[in-house]
Amino acid sequence: MLEKWKLREVIVLSVLAVVFAVVYLVFLQFGNVLYGMFGLIGYDLIFGIWFIVSIIAAYIIRKPGAAFLSETIAAAIEVMVGNAVGPRLILSGMIQGIGAEAVFAATKWNNYRPWVLIAAGMGSSVTSFIWGYFISGYAALSPGYVTAMFFVRLISGALLAGLLGKWLSESLAKTGALNSFPIGKELKRGKPENGITA
Amino acid sequence: MFLHEFNPSVKAFTVIVCVLILSVFFDPVTPFLTLVMTAAATFIFGRVSFKRWILLFSPFIFMAAIYIWSALIFSKTIEGETILWSWGIFTLTEEGFLRALSLGMRVLSFTSLSLLFILTTKPTEFLLSLMQQCRLSPKLAYGIMAGYRFLPLMKEEFEIIRSAHRIRGVPKARKLSEKMAELKRYAVPLLAGAIRKAERTAMAMESKGFTGDKNRDFHHKISVSWKDWACFTFFIGAVLGSAYISWLFGFLQLYNGEL
Amino acid sequence: MELQHNRHILKTEQLSFRYEDVKKPILKDVQFSLYPGEAVLLLGPSGSGKSTLAFCLNKLYPEAVDGKLDGTISFKGKMLEEFGPGEINQHIGIVFQDPESQFCMTTVEDELAFGLENMKTPPDEIESKIDEALELVHLLPYKHSLIHTLSGGQKQKLALACVLSLKPDILILDEPTANLDPASSYELTRIIKELKENQTFSLLIIEHKLDDWIDLTDRCVVLNKEGEILFNGSTAECFNQYAEELLHEGIWLPSAVRAGLLGKKEGIYKGEKLPLSDRELIAGFANPICALQILDNRKKKHQAHEEQIILTAENLSFNKAGKDLLKNISFSVKKGEFVAIAGSNGSGKTTLSRLLAGLYTPSKGNILFYDSSLSQWKEKELRQKLGYVFQNPEHQFIADSVYDEIAFSLKIQQIPDADIQKTVQAALLQVDLLQCADLHPFSLSQGQKRRLSVASMLVNDQDLLLLDEPTFGQDARTSGELMKLLETKIQSGGSVVMITHDMEILHSYADKVIVLSEGEKIYDGLPDALWKKDEIMKIASLKVPYLEKLRDDIGSIAGGKKLVLT
Repeated sequence: MLEKWKLREVIVLSVLAVVFAVVYLVFLQFGNVLYGMFGLIGYDLIFGIWFIVSIIAAYIIRKPGAAFLSETIAAAIEVMVGNAVGPRLILSGMIQGIGAEAVFAATKWNNYRPWVLIAAGMGSSVTSFIWGYFISGYAALSPGYVTAMFFVRLISGALLAGLLGKWLSESLAKTGALNSFPIGKELKRGKPENGITA
Repeated sequence: MFLHEFNPSVKAFTVIVCVLILSVFFDPVTPFLTLVMTAAATFIFGRVSFKRWILLFSPFIFMAAIYIWSALIFSKTIEGETILWSWGIFTLTEEGFLRALSLGMRVLSFTSLSLLFILTTKPTEFLLSLMQQCRLSPKLAYGIMAGYRFLPLMKEEFEIIRSAHRIRGVPKARKLSEKMAELKRYAVPLLAGAIRKAERTAMAMESKGFTGDKNRDFHHKISVSWKDWACFTFFIGAVLGSAYISWLFGFLQLYNGEL
Repeated sequence: MELQHNRHILKTEQLSFRYEDVKKPILKDVQFSLYPGEAVLLLGPSGSGKSTLAFCLNKLYPEAVDGKLDGTISFKGKMLEEFGPGEINQHIGIVFQDPESQFCMTTVEDELAFGLENMKTPPDEIESKIDEALELVHLLPYKHSLIHTLSGGQKQKLALACVLSLKPDILILDEPTANLDPASSYELTRIIKELKENQTFSLLIIEHKLDDWIDLTDRCVVLNKEGEILFNGSTAECFNQYAEELLHEGIWLPSAVRAGLLGKKEGIYKGEKLPLSDRELIAGFANPICALQILDNRKKKHQAHEEQIILTAENLSFNKAGKDLLKNISFSVKKGEFVAIAGSNGSGKTTLSRLLAGLYTPSKGNILFYDSSLSQWKEKELRQKLGYVFQNPEHQFIADSVYDEIAFSLKIQQIPDADIQKTVQAALLQVDLLQCADLHPFSLSQGQKRRLSVASMLVNDQDLLLLDEPTFGQDARTSGELMKLLETKIQSGGSVVMITHDMEILHSYADKVIVLSEGEKIYDGLPDALWKKDEIMKIASLKVPYLEKLRDDIGSIAGGKKLVLT
């Protein structure tokens, strides 16, 4: 998978994962508070933020594997810096990453328009929900509550991962730091490149 | 320093298998015994300072407390359970209490296993081991290592940016739109700086002749011996032993999706 | 003038390079050879493609970027394309500018092993090669240290050791001292000189501050703004012919050359050629003592000090995590005064400035700003009276355009839009950024960023401006522009407190110097008196400014020694 990656893309991927691992840890505390207040659905309100690195990495690097690897590495780093949820977290990261990656794969990693990014965020919502359904025992909850949880998470994935990720990536591109990536070149030319990687 | 010499990949595998075994059961005793055993091993064979351990562990005591608390509040009272205590809409049953306790203990036992790994493993050695034992691509492994090195630097920069915002008189974010703007004001300079540094690091690595070639002779060799597998067996045995003791006392139960 | 050497080891022919989307080439028809054992200085204004050339020579470009390279580069007669991936890097090594982004491992030993493993060095030889390389740069005691605990200077030495461990034929130095303080910078050049004497590699040096390198170099190559070779020949000839052009382009000249050039203009330097060393310079003066007075370009000190004290630090102490970072520091800043804070790395300079800005709270002691303690000030009012400029301008940018960056602090004061527009325009005009108003602050050049960060602090007309090493890593022109802005600030009655390593700036501008060492104040007084305190200069690893050094040299020559020109 990595043969076609340039070293600089791998390191940028890993740096993004490091930054968002820290962001995730911050949001974990926030999530716990929401959980305490609203119960399980409180988590779902902000669940999307945990998929954001997939969207940003894929949108910037535009290569197969970006969404999956970034989320997985972010989870691994979260564990290394002290989120003692442990190895299960890495597995969750992988599953979230697969959801987003699947959407990008469906467009053959060739389309990074807004709706694709939103769909990718929702893709992570779907896979993470299925995983959660079995591992965290959502089955024990009433079907109405589970359905509500699912839709809240879907919207959270669309907004907090898809749209917020797009907005952050583009803000970053405006600084010129991404000039050697397709997203930066797009911005210079002022039109979308349809994600064809140079 | 026995646990420090435990092969990192086998150690990680051990922790994962232990967690998987623990996930099968759902009672307070098995995870509690595992927790005691793991913590003891961490201190005796890992020579980890208690201060460091408790510092990382304590947030999870809090988290476990929240789990127990919400499991008490949100759990359904099933007909025929023994009521221990009741006040208004809240009813505490013996079974509910045990469920909550199991959930809390489970979180703590997972935490102690993770800490055993984290506190006795150097990230570099783990990655070296993943390359040598699990054929992880050197491009990815060294890439992750390069990124990981930025962590302390970014912590520093975060503090500086926070001070700089104060100097500029940036008002406290209250509305959601302001919060978003605030997230951007932190994330963009941090990421822009980090990405430029990442590109420079990539060049520096290439200038040292790094090509990502999978055939690599390592200076720092990380090997696997029978000792590592003995250690693996010991931990798995300990977890299974915990479950056995729990069964002896009549607590053991299989997990079937309780919250 | 081509030096007589046996045969070049590196040669470029018609080398051009451009980025894919950009028409204008960075390098144009560069014809350049490097001979075994020689040391070449590569000069040129910023943006002239010096680093680009360096990166092309060891094959990092065009692969690392989307660029197009025309022409040929050959190493020992073999085209660079014919080398396999990573192969050329064993022969051509490079040390980069930024000490923070050259490594991928956590310990010194692992980092060295990384390079040796890349070159497929047999594992049983790696250990001895690591020790050997560390010995060369005097880092052996740090073999097992974590890289992030090393100082900037040590990191650069490590980068050098990594290259040396591969036994390269060519060593490229891409501004390795730009981010170092004077003491570490001097140490690094000393080590390279030492190596040059005992080893056989060729050196290609890109540097801004040339004083320490001049006597090491055999030849200079100058690139112009268009990326073409302007000059290629001996160092002496280079500065004789192109000194003024180089100066005009914002390139630092060696101090002796600069002084000679000035002397020539004033008619006091009689030497035939511009001097490369102080000896030549002094010999060229008809009357050295008199020349000194003319060369002393220091502005007239602000005599008319209103004796109003605006800031007083009283017995400040600060400790963090059980460490005493500052101990019992007292001093004051008057209206219209320029105070410099100097000291070696880790002496507590930045901590002190953060305390003065009210960002940290002192553990003991008090800071009075206009007669009331900092803690009594309302945050909003304090920020309008007291500004702080961070070392890295990017850290304090908060808006999406240059215009908004300046307008930000005016907007939070709820000033009417029309007035804001006027004020911002005036501020942008003052710092020469009017044409960039709509650009993103991050997309500006280094110098423009620096000016913008200062302008955003000047727009409120703050009475006191604190600056944390604002000239660090900046080129001659950028530093000059910044100092001009600060001068204006002082003239309009503002006060400036600036942390600096740059003794030339300190010498030319400061009214008062405070020297810190290990958290204690060891000097507080006039700059001129500081240069004579050898003990303090040594403890704080400060360097005597050029003019003072020259004064000493002239003094000792006049003291009876006969000057012999070499």
